[in-house]
Amino acid sequence: MMLRWWLSTSALLSSLMIVLVLGFLLQSSWPLIQQQGIAFIIGDEWYPFESLYGMLPALMGTVWAVTLALLIALPCGVAAAIFCAELLPAQLRGAMRFSMELMAGVPSVVYGLLGMWVLLPLLESQLELLTGRTLLAAGLLLALMILPTIMVLSEDAIRAVRQSQREAAKSLGIGWDATLWRVLLPQAWPGIRVATLLATGRAMGETVAVMLVVGSIDRIPDPFYNFLQPAQTLTSRIGREMAEASIGSLHWAALLFCGLLLALIAMGLSFMTPRKRIAA
Amino acid sequence: MFHRCKEALWIGFWGAAFLSLGTALVGPLYAATTTIKIAGSTTLLPILSEAAKQYRITHPDLRLTVSGGGSGMGVANIERGTIDIGMASRPLSVREAERLGDATDVIPVARDAVAIAVSKAVYENGVTQLSLAQIAAIYRGEIRNWRELGGLDATILVIDKEASRGTRYVFAAVVLGNPHARAPGATIITGSNNEEQAVISRSDQAIGMLSNAWLNDRVRAIAVGEGDAALLPTAENVARGRYLITRDLNILVPKGSGDEVKGFVDFLRSAQGQAIVETVGFHSVR
Repeated sequence: MMLRWWLSTSALLSSLMIVLVLGFLLQSSWPLIQQQGIAFIIGDEWYPFESLYGMLPALMGTVWAVTLALLIALPCGVAAAIFCAELLPAQLRGAMRFSMELMAGVPSVVYGLLGMWVLLPLLESQLELLTGRTLLAAGLLLALMILPTIMVLSEDAIRAVRQSQREAAKSLGIGWDATLWRVLLPQAWPGIRVATLLATGRAMGETVAVMLVVGSIDRIPDPFYNFLQPAQTLTSRIGREMAEASIGSLHWAALLFCGLLLALIAMGLSFMTPRKRIAA
Repeated sequence: MFHRCKEALWIGFWGAAFLSLGTALVGPLYAATTTIKIAGSTTLLPILSEAAKQYRITHPDLRLTVSGGGSGMGVANIERGTIDIGMASRPLSVREAERLGDATDVIPVARDAVAIAVSKAVYENGVTQLSLAQIAAIYRGEIRNWRELGGLDATILVIDKEASRGTRYVFAAVVLGNPHARAPGATIITGSNNEEQAVISRSDQAIGMLSNAWLNDRVRAIAVGEGDAALLPTAENVARGRYLITRDLNILVPKGSGDEVKGFVDFLRSAQGQAIVETVGFHSVR
């Protein structure tokens, strides 16, 4: 009886938490919405001192950085997962998984410093850039950070496909690559999708590492797809400006609105996760 | 199953034992001391850190924690009441002064010059002085190449600082004519002096604004002014008020602070405290 009560209260509290978080974000950013409407979301000028809180540059920076990270990490991660699950002998598989899990556990500021001292000079010298602090740097760093998530979860999904399916394919005389494309990947797809969404969430919310390499300038790249220019992301803006904004000011409200935007995007993403795992 | 449980219980037991032992040993140390929390401008950071270190020698019962964050954060945290002494490398803005009212003393503890710093390569290739108008043109995006200023053909990497930084406040006030002026020519934005120093020293074509104390071989100051009247931010030029981009480095102390805080503030303004200021690379206010 006690246990049941404890379990249900905990469950209720944790589901309430998200309502509380969203409520807090909305309440704190309300003064800004009240005063300026909602048009500032597509504004392209962020000058807190002049009460200009255009969200577009940072919003676009976030989208760009995450897209770049996914473009790099998704193919690599899934390929590594297939290799690990299907081709590697069991002992090596353990070692590879362990290294990935280790990689997932490295604190993000370590990646940030790595990016600052290794990635930036490399980009500067190889691409002859004015500065390595670019969207590309942020994308590359994020790719490294979400790779373990994608790889480990995708591998689980692929390994969860029943052995009988592989044997059936073999007995039908289907070659290995056809089995991969027609049997394994389609069945593992829901799992890979979940992995991708979780990774997207992590990439979007990453702050410190991105802050150190993105350049932090509130300006839309010119032209807008030029990822070799410095930019700003929502998280890096919050990270850079939160400490100095006085509580209750419009600036503070605008920063919390950045947080609200992030939370809403993350929620939108999680609505896209498949509700039912397909039983293999 | 039972075995697992037992194991977990043991781990829990030892964990609890260590924690309580640790608390028992360290707890009294914390309880017996008063802590003075200091935070804000990274320009003032080396002064206050060194002063705190030396002050501790004569006051071993005091704990002083000094952290950065920028002038804006120093002011904001004094307002929130989360720290005892704020560091601000600029005067209070009108709005801040209104909010803090008469409840806070702004006490200058050092003078500093904001140097216009360039990468070593820029300096060695001929750009050793710029007028205020030229610097402003760079930050407004009207001059984008070092060639236009007598240097090599290289794009200028223009480094701006976070809007709340004291260094930027003073720089923008003197060079751009308004402490909150926009800098459309900026390439990237950095935060602390260390971060900016790292960017300038690693680049061959950067310009930025740095507190005098962060200059080194790879990060050179250029003379500011027209022709022969251009001046470097040397001690003499700063003391005589000839170098234009200077400022007071202030600490913010709430009125009615305890004796421990007052004692430390007096120490900072004493001859010994001001000697620290000069050792670290700034100018005395005495």
